[in-house]
Amino acid sequence: MSGLARWLGSGAESCSRSNALVLDPLVARRSWRAWWIAITIAFLWTVTFGVTIALVLSIGIGELGNNTTVVWGFPIANYVWWIGIGNAGTLISAMLLITRQHWRASINRSAEAMTLMAVSIAGLFPIIHLGRPLYFLWLLPYPNEMGIWPQWRSALIWDFWAILSYLLFSIIFWYTGLIPDLAVVRDAARTRFGRLFYGSLCFGWRNSARHWRIHQRFYYTMAGLAVPLVCSVHSIVGLDFAASLMPGWEEGIFPPYFVVGAMFSGFAMVAVLIAGLRWGFGFAPIITEKHFDMIGRMMLLASLVLGLTYLTEWFTAWYSGDYAERRFTIYEMVGRYAPEYWLMICCNVIFPQAFWWRAVRQNIPVSLVIAVLVNVGMWLERILIVWTTLSHSYSPTMWTAFLSTAVDWAMLGGSLGFFAFLYLCFVRIVPAATMFEVRELVHERRQELKA
Amino acid sequence: MPSLSRRDALHLLASSVAATMASCTQPTNEIIPYVNMPERLIPGEPLKFATSVALAGYGRGTIGITYEGRPTKLEGNPLHPASLGGSDVFMEADILDLYDPARSRAPRGPSMVNSWDEFLQAFEAARAHAVGNGGFRLRVLSGRITSPTFVRLWQALARGFPAARWHRYEPVDDDSETQGLKLAFSRPMLARPRISDANVVLCLGADPLGPGPEQPALARAFSTRRNSEKPGGMLRLYACESAWTLTGANADHRLVLAPAAICDFALAVAARLGADDGSSPSLAFKKEVEAVSDDLLAHRGHAMVLAGRTQPPELHALAAWMNARLGAPIDYIEPVDTVPGTHAGSLAALEHDLESGAVDALVIIGANPAYDRGVEFSHMIGRARLSAHMGLYADETARACRWHLPMSHILESWSDIRGPDGTASIVQPLIMPLYDSRTPEALLALVTGNRSPRDYDLVRQTWNRGGNGDFESWWRGAVERGVIEGTGAKPVTVSAPSLPQVKPAGPGRLVVTTGPDPSIWDGRYANNAWLQECPKPFTMEVWGNAIEVSPEDAKEFGIADSKYARLTCGLAVVDAPVRIRSGQAKGVVAVTLGYGRVAAGPIGDGVGFNAWPLWARRNEPVSLSPIDSGPATHTTFGHAVLDEADDKLFPRFTLAELAKLRRPITRPESSEPTLLHTPQPDDGYAWAMVIDNGLCIGCNACVVSCMAENNVPVVGPDEIDRHRDMHWLRVDTYQSGEAAGLRIGFEPVPCMHCEDAPCEPVCPVEASIHDTEGLNVQVYNRCIGTRFCESNCPYKVRRFNWFDYAGYQAYADMNAGTISAQRNPDVTVRARGVMEKCTYCVQRITRARRGAEREKRMIRDGEVVTACQAACPTGAISFGNRDDKHSHVVAQKSRGQHFALLASLGTRPRTTYLAHVSNPNPVWDKTS
Repeated sequence: MSGLARWLGSGAESCSRSNALVLDPLVARRSWRAWWIAITIAFLWTVTFGVTIALVLSIGIGELGNNTTVVWGFPIANYVWWIGIGNAGTLISAMLLITRQHWRASINRSAEAMTLMAVSIAGLFPIIHLGRPLYFLWLLPYPNEMGIWPQWRSALIWDFWAILSYLLFSIIFWYTGLIPDLAVVRDAARTRFGRLFYGSLCFGWRNSARHWRIHQRFYYTMAGLAVPLVCSVHSIVGLDFAASLMPGWEEGIFPPYFVVGAMFSGFAMVAVLIAGLRWGFGFAPIITEKHFDMIGRMMLLASLVLGLTYLTEWFTAWYSGDYAERRFTIYEMVGRYAPEYWLMICCNVIFPQAFWWRAVRQNIPVSLVIAVLVNVGMWLERILIVWTTLSHSYSPTMWTAFLSTAVDWAMLGGSLGFFAFLYLCFVRIVPAATMFEVRELVHERRQELKA
Repeated sequence: MPSLSRRDALHLLASSVAATMASCTQPTNEIIPYVNMPERLIPGEPLKFATSVALAGYGRGTIGITYEGRPTKLEGNPLHPASLGGSDVFMEADILDLYDPARSRAPRGPSMVNSWDEFLQAFEAARAHAVGNGGFRLRVLSGRITSPTFVRLWQALARGFPAARWHRYEPVDDDSETQGLKLAFSRPMLARPRISDANVVLCLGADPLGPGPEQPALARAFSTRRNSEKPGGMLRLYACESAWTLTGANADHRLVLAPAAICDFALAVAARLGADDGSSPSLAFKKEVEAVSDDLLAHRGHAMVLAGRTQPPELHALAAWMNARLGAPIDYIEPVDTVPGTHAGSLAALEHDLESGAVDALVIIGANPAYDRGVEFSHMIGRARLSAHMGLYADETARACRWHLPMSHILESWSDIRGPDGTASIVQPLIMPLYDSRTPEALLALVTGNRSPRDYDLVRQTWNRGGNGDFESWWRGAVERGVIEGTGAKPVTVSAPSLPQVKPAGPGRLVVTTGPDPSIWDGRYANNAWLQECPKPFTMEVWGNAIEVSPEDAKEFGIADSKYARLTCGLAVVDAPVRIRSGQAKGVVAVTLGYGRVAAGPIGDGVGFNAWPLWARRNEPVSLSPIDSGPATHTTFGHAVLDEADDKLFPRFTLAELAKLRRPITRPESSEPTLLHTPQPDDGYAWAMVIDNGLCIGCNACVVSCMAENNVPVVGPDEIDRHRDMHWLRVDTYQSGEAAGLRIGFEPVPCMHCEDAPCEPVCPVEASIHDTEGLNVQVYNRCIGTRFCESNCPYKVRRFNWFDYAGYQAYADMNAGTISAQRNPDVTVRARGVMEKCTYCVQRITRARRGAEREKRMIRDGEVVTACQAACPTGAISFGNRDDKHSHVVAQKSRGQHFALLASLGTRPRTTYLAHVSNPNPVWDKTS
């Protein structure tokens, strides 16, 4: 199989068949047993998430494991991790759109949905982590009688705006891509409610050539805007750490390193999600082994860049000659968090090397396992950035370790459950793949065959 | 109590307290608002009153700061010889005891709640019964009481009841010293070393800088001779000790010796000083003995030898003999304490009387023998026909007695008291008694028949006898100054002491040494949360005590750090956690007293283990074996082993090295060139602090003082275990060197108030900002709790309210009404979720500014004294205006050993340090 054919399997030969494939879960009567089981579990975890948040808000963030020295903990790591995952959706979608990578067609919708959900969840964590969360709005430059504005030199303010603009942008971008498909759902809907519901969502889309022209121009422009934004959001998250004075944080490499890390974990999460779609919705014809092959290659690239970054960190620590930096790096490797550190190196750098082999890349279960490990590794990376530096900075008398609590872990698990819950709702309501782009792909393949 | 946890019990107790407190009623009598303001009283402006507080019965002059009749803070009284302006942890924490909601509030007797009248009836009945049987055998047991009024009233009582006896028993006694001096001089005597006149001091297990009634005065004297700039040279301190003491940590040379070896060492030094007893110095320390003896002899007239509290009497006598040989600057005075005999002997006599049933009435005042002497004493109390306990708390002894009578806190009392040097002072109350309590003097007056004694009159009667001429103006002056001039004991001339026969102690494989706890003394402060949470020097342990053993012994007995061990000493068996201490003598087990209380109150009950059974067996052989674990120990931050490469955190110099320094290690930040924006003071003030590491003895007075002044909450052991202590000021303890050369240095770390503060630009809401005078201020109202400031603080001096620590919390006594009365009204009580930190006591700066602006002048140098600075007995902390070229703080900053912590980070801290300077014996260095 060469050319465009490798992106489509049997069962997606025609436009109507590919449409039917995507639409079927939304309109046809079929068994939803697995979905119900999944969403029940996800719901229970969502409740856990709510309970832990309620606990922290009502009793105090002392319920978490943070202490006087390690003042940041799980919420910050969770936040950076979720933002990273949120990064990849728009990145995949926009960058691949601009570079005309046709294989994005069947995965970009779920990747973008992933972005929205992940960024929304990520946005919760900095608020939960506040000592006085009810005043988070003081980060906004709202007019007040005291004439007080936020502190523009603080990376947290940059961060706040980066997340907010990224979230708003991602919603618009995702919705723009959704409009033609919502029209298809409207047309295929079997109930009056379905027709009204999807009809109002698709803004009167009539599939006219003019509509398509405007849509595509807007969509490509948005994609052009998306790429710098994707880079900015996570490099600014990197600046949260880099714009400080602490050993292990004050590193110029952090912004690009964070962007690559985000792409890495995002691709890994996409791999997990589309494997689920392929299995649950029978999307095998439009999500092929070749898709996993491509994602595997991206993850391999990202893991090499990350490996280089770790080497650079070690080198600069040695080369700087700075006592605190060197002491920090040694602590990283042999200190209190050494097991987590080396597990992280394995997950992020060693295990993905298996993707050098095509057989591994195209083996979906194996890819899935590596993708999950990469996500574990990336979470460890974020928590270690927080823990290691804070535990072991300039004042040796204040060195201490972080002691996590059940609430910490329940909140992390709860956020995953909440994500799964949102994602399961999404696939139940919205076409999980971009139908018009799949149709385009089917059409272009036909052209290719003719030629 | 397996079913009810400690926290539950506290919750219950506090809610019952809260329920009773909540029932506010109108006062029964007419209340009158301030239509005409009382003279001197300006709302919001504190008033200061001189009074005294007690430790081990000795008075220490203090200045009470009160707001609208509510005392909030105690500071040392510069006029009082036992304070000289400094304080210690106990003086600082006494104010919390005053407001302790666990204090007893009403007399208790046979029907649980009784009245004073009912007690007096019972007392009269006992007297009437006894008088018929040939004399009323009343026994009064108290701790050391030095009050002249008490003594006067006692004498009156003794005239009425000839069979009455007063027994005096201070749990941490000075029997060894008094017996030793009696051996030397054949009469009871107290030694008063004039450290400020000494050039060389040798401590044989003595801990003059350690906790005790005289700590502030002795530390002040020590500091006057540790200034590297003063002519006359620095004092040189040698310490021989078995376990770490503050004196050992501050010594120029520290020798780690088991108790028996200290005796040998003393004999060897004495032999070189001319005691011809034929014994030769043990070979192991020959060179050290020679170095010390030569140094002592070279400074004849300015050299002294001090023996420790737990050393045998013969060693004290030997020290007295050596001091006589050296012409040491030591005064000898008659005992301040008027009860003759030893503490142990006095108590033994009472125990004998109780055993033989020869006691009609036993009245225990302020003492707690049922705790420190053990359950046996409780049983003996039952042998008396009438037993009554008077104390601040219904403690272990109160439970064993038929009657309990609430005692007024000293800050509620009119009384008088003598300091360790005999200086008397009038104790004036800072507040009306909070409860239905009385003073010990009033109790004596009551039982002698004065049915409505007024403390005020009792004290005045004592002092209005000598025909002082104009008594009223004399009285006014005495009360105002807090000291009665000329009442200090006069040094007596003593005969040449005889050389005692010291028999070298038999070598035991493992002996135990005990001493009062640096945080809660003998247990009387067990219910004081500030002190429970005050990190002990060196180990940083809080909320408990531990068995301390040397690494060699731990290895030999198979005991691991923080694990449990069983200590057996004769019949006494103690199970406790172990702490391994480098720098402790092999073969010595050290424990501190005061823990393991069962009736201290909700804060102090069940904390630590009771080591009192070991006190009487100190220096006796013990055995040690590991056992299964028990409850965890609790440790705060602050201890670090100093990395060789990181010695910039705690630089050390000898006097010789210091002389070679051409300019300060770190130049004052104002003279450093910078491209950064620096705040330009627009009103002529730039506040700065200099802390002299060489003078910091590690006593923690500043830590507790800061808590009292700035409403710093306690968090309790659970939160300490999660590393969430709230102290704004910590005393970092740096350990360097190995084995015999092991050294410990203290470095108090408040906020650095950096000119280029890393915490400021990272706060998204500008809650951490700089003011025009260079203070790095934290706006609590604006803080949303991102904690980025603490993340980015290289010194880690910021503290976060993870929970509502100041509010409804067990270890803050559930914020009971009395506890909130202690709060400084000039300082915000911080809410949950905000960051806080040292403010340089900005409220004191503001107060000084108000005064200066009223008089249209600048704030004078020395007018602003921060709480830590005021507390420091050695004057290690100086604070002032850096832009005033003549200020003390500028002079300090231009000294050679001046350095900034982590100066290379470019934070330009306003708090800077003077490096530790020691004065080692050059000969010693050659020997080792």
